[in-house]
Amino acid sequence: MEKIFLKNDLGLDKYPFKGLRNALKGSPEDVVQKIKESGLRGRGGAGFPAGIKWEYANSIDNEIKFVICNADEGEPGTFKDRFLMENLPEKVIEGIIICAYAVKSNYGYIYIRGEYEKAIKIIKNKIKDLYKSNVLGRNILGTEFNFDLKVIRGAGAYVCGDETSLINSIEGERGRSRIKPPLPIEKGLYGYPTIVNNVETLSAAAEIMKYDDNPYLKMGTEKSRGTKLVSISGDVNQPGVYEVELGKITIKNIIEDLAGGVSNGELGFVIPGGVATEALGPDEIDVPYTYENLMELNSGIGSGGMIVVSNKRNYFEIIKNVSNFFKNETCGTCFPCREANRNINALLNHNKLMSDLTSEQIEIITEIKETIGYASRCGFGQASVNFILSVLEKFNDGRVNS
Amino acid sequence: MKIKINGREYTYEDNITIFEAARRSHIKIPTLCYNQKLQPYGSCRICSVEVKDRRTLMPACVTKIEDNMEIFTHSQKVRRVRKMIMELIIASHGITCNLNCLNCSRATSCEIRNVAAEIGIDKLRIHPMEEQIKPIDESSFSIVREPQKCIVCNRCVRKCSEVQGVDILTIANKGPETHVTTFLDKGMGNVDCTNCGQCILECPTGALHEVYHIDQVWKAIEDEEKYVVVQTAPAVRVAIGEEFGANAGEIETGQMVAGLRLLGFDKVFDTNFSADLTILEEGTEFIGRVKNNGVLPLFTSCSPGWIKFLEHNYPEFIPNLSTCKSPQQMFGAIVKSYYAEKNNIDPKNIVVVSVMPCVAKKFERSRPEMKGDVDYVLTTRELGKMFKQAGINLREVPPEMYDDPLGESSGAAVIFGATGGVMEAALRTAYEVLTGHNLEKLDFHEVRGIIGVKEAEITIGNKEIKVAVVNGLGNAKKVLEMIKKKEKEYHFIEFMACPGGCIGGGGQPIPTNEDTVIERMTSIYDIDMMSKYRKSHENPSVKLLYKEFLGEPNSEKAHHLLHTTYTARK
Repeated sequence: MEKIFLKNDLGLDKYPFKGLRNALKGSPEDVVQKIKESGLRGRGGAGFPAGIKWEYANSIDNEIKFVICNADEGEPGTFKDRFLMENLPEKVIEGIIICAYAVKSNYGYIYIRGEYEKAIKIIKNKIKDLYKSNVLGRNILGTEFNFDLKVIRGAGAYVCGDETSLINSIEGERGRSRIKPPLPIEKGLYGYPTIVNNVETLSAAAEIMKYDDNPYLKMGTEKSRGTKLVSISGDVNQPGVYEVELGKITIKNIIEDLAGGVSNGELGFVIPGGVATEALGPDEIDVPYTYENLMELNSGIGSGGMIVVSNKRNYFEIIKNVSNFFKNETCGTCFPCREANRNINALLNHNKLMSDLTSEQIEIITEIKETIGYASRCGFGQASVNFILSVLEKFNDGRVNS
Repeated sequence: MKIKINGREYTYEDNITIFEAARRSHIKIPTLCYNQKLQPYGSCRICSVEVKDRRTLMPACVTKIEDNMEIFTHSQKVRRVRKMIMELIIASHGITCNLNCLNCSRATSCEIRNVAAEIGIDKLRIHPMEEQIKPIDESSFSIVREPQKCIVCNRCVRKCSEVQGVDILTIANKGPETHVTTFLDKGMGNVDCTNCGQCILECPTGALHEVYHIDQVWKAIEDEEKYVVVQTAPAVRVAIGEEFGANAGEIETGQMVAGLRLLGFDKVFDTNFSADLTILEEGTEFIGRVKNNGVLPLFTSCSPGWIKFLEHNYPEFIPNLSTCKSPQQMFGAIVKSYYAEKNNIDPKNIVVVSVMPCVAKKFERSRPEMKGDVDYVLTTRELGKMFKQAGINLREVPPEMYDDPLGESSGAAVIFGATGGVMEAALRTAYEVLTGHNLEKLDFHEVRGIIGVKEAEITIGNKEIKVAVVNGLGNAKKVLEMIKKKEKEYHFIEFMACPGGCIGGGGQPIPTNEDTVIERMTSIYDIDMMSKYRKSHENPSVKLLYKEFLGEPNSEKAHHLLHTTYTARK
């Protein structure tokens, strides 16, 4: 198994918390500076620079602030956070504590997807142990820093992976997005400044802090620093979680070299970053795996959930399946998202074959996509039709099985 | 700060929304889920506008203006997106033969239709959603919910919780199953609903309306055996015209009386008569409580929404409630006793119909404590429908007078229709009865106006009387909490469930909002000013009623007919 960076500490007998020790030696601002310099981008899907988020949270003066680790990992085909929590729980928690130190927060939550029973158990036990060994609690590792961490179990709503919905969920409110502004960093959980980061982002931060120099500066491209965990599933011979250095490998190589190639026929298309990103055909995958390269193709790295689909699959059934998912998982608050996904679903399900869709129907779906992209309330809604329309546009070529 | 809207420069202070800035620039941005009086919700996205350098469109209702912001309220992109959202909403309505605009309660006042017209919907490309039929909630005596027509804009939910503090409506489930409902889907009749009907006024569609009594009333009118008597509440006369295109607050008393005769009612009487009667009974009760160290503060009992709210949430205050029935119920009781006796009519053959600005009155007439006083209750809106069904254009009918004797009333009675009116009427009478002097200044301006909580101190003889006037149940909650904590002390409090009082009632023409309420209020006080009698105890017919039948206020007979009891519902 490849150990490029994040996976370095796999299989250690005793986790040394070197990143945390290093962080605590300096000031919170030193930590912020290092993360900012690293160019680490949010690994949950949006790709917002973590350091800038941390810097803003650090600059807000408030006695109570919250750190939330977003472990709701609900994007279909994405399972890299589960891998981290099950195999490197200390690193995940270490990342949360480092973030808390950097933004001067003493309270944190890790919001874990409800179905992740094993991960929940592991993290809960680990938190207990770490309180005993003084990595959590009061005067962490002999310093003046105090931090408490609690696990919250999600109840199975995709939208709760959106940070404001997640905050609502912790508060016991309906899982639906909040109107921004105010940003959670200004007014989040229970009205207090709150920073929300993805599991992988925090783990990467913990790893970065391990080193005296900044390892991220030596890895990746200017806009895509470091490494990324890719969870590959679908029609490949060796599905799993792989760590890749950004910009050093193409999507084609990821599929062929790491995941053992396409099983069950030739490559039909690949969904590079979860079902909220556009599908790429065989002629589009010979590109370096970076934020910027995929953006050029109107797609994205997203959560790193790569789904490979062979040309033997019924594409239309796949988009119907994804449409069912979005229809059921929209929180139902804003009209464009609720009604658009319902109507697209109805349009698709009215037809047996993709080629049965009339040009007028495709035009309507295209217009609905535009509307949902411009007018939905949160990022989930805005991205919900990307994949479906990309398949209709790229692969509606009268294939017999679609 | 300086902003540009559609290329023109404007300067506004910070902290206003794009919607507000556009409004001040005389540009109307369409909305569905927005109401200035409610917390912004940002769900319908109809108000989306283009802002330069923003990736997405911005909802105007929640986006604050920023310095140098360039806003495009009706660009091609905006128009296209709005049209698509509107098409989706129309599709979600699931229009069928049974469910369409022709047979909708809001056929003439539907916000969706208005917004669709504003946006310029000229074709519908998306088929109506095939819905499984969602059952209609008919559990309430007052309100019907038709979930199929609901677009989940959340305005009823917000009105119920934010303005009224009742909080019986909620949003349940997610995705296409998202819907408005009550606790555990129990239905509005089985939860702590006060029947105030503010949700109906807030609904942009026909998803909420009153329980109709129109058919029963037609049947009674057409029944030769029945002697059908109608009473009209104070607030109806200043609003019914709006159903016929009149400006808000236009006074149509005489036309309404004439119209009711044309409909075929045997007698057209006035709830104002029993409002005067209420003042004598309640005023006497108040004086008695003050003199005999009874339970104070005394709470008024005219508003059935308020009564049910108190019974559910503050039953410990039941002893504070006046035992007086509301004017509607007193009227029914008097018709079926005094009037029947006087005119030799068998009370069993008398049908009492009320026209009320209120949907809670439909619940009130069904209360076991007062069953039989009133047979049917029509809202102002229902009366408008009946007039239309009978081909009566209210504004063209020559005015007529109410019938005697139960049509005679004072100006003190008509002001019952506005918040503060009951208090003012009571003070006019209490002052004169207690001091024996004539009141020089009849207008108590301290208790008038649309403010939620008003207070006044009045010297009557050598006693300082502290009064308060509260409208809107959210405000009632606040005042009751203050009384509980002993932060406030009063002798007498008027409570009305609806903002603005009865003129803002849940049965009034749509739109009922602050603007229309103010217009109606002005007219109410105009009628008072023009009245021959302005004090309840001067109403000759009421005097005669006591002389011939009741004896004196709070007599045993009066107690039997005009007073009631309450039920703790916690």
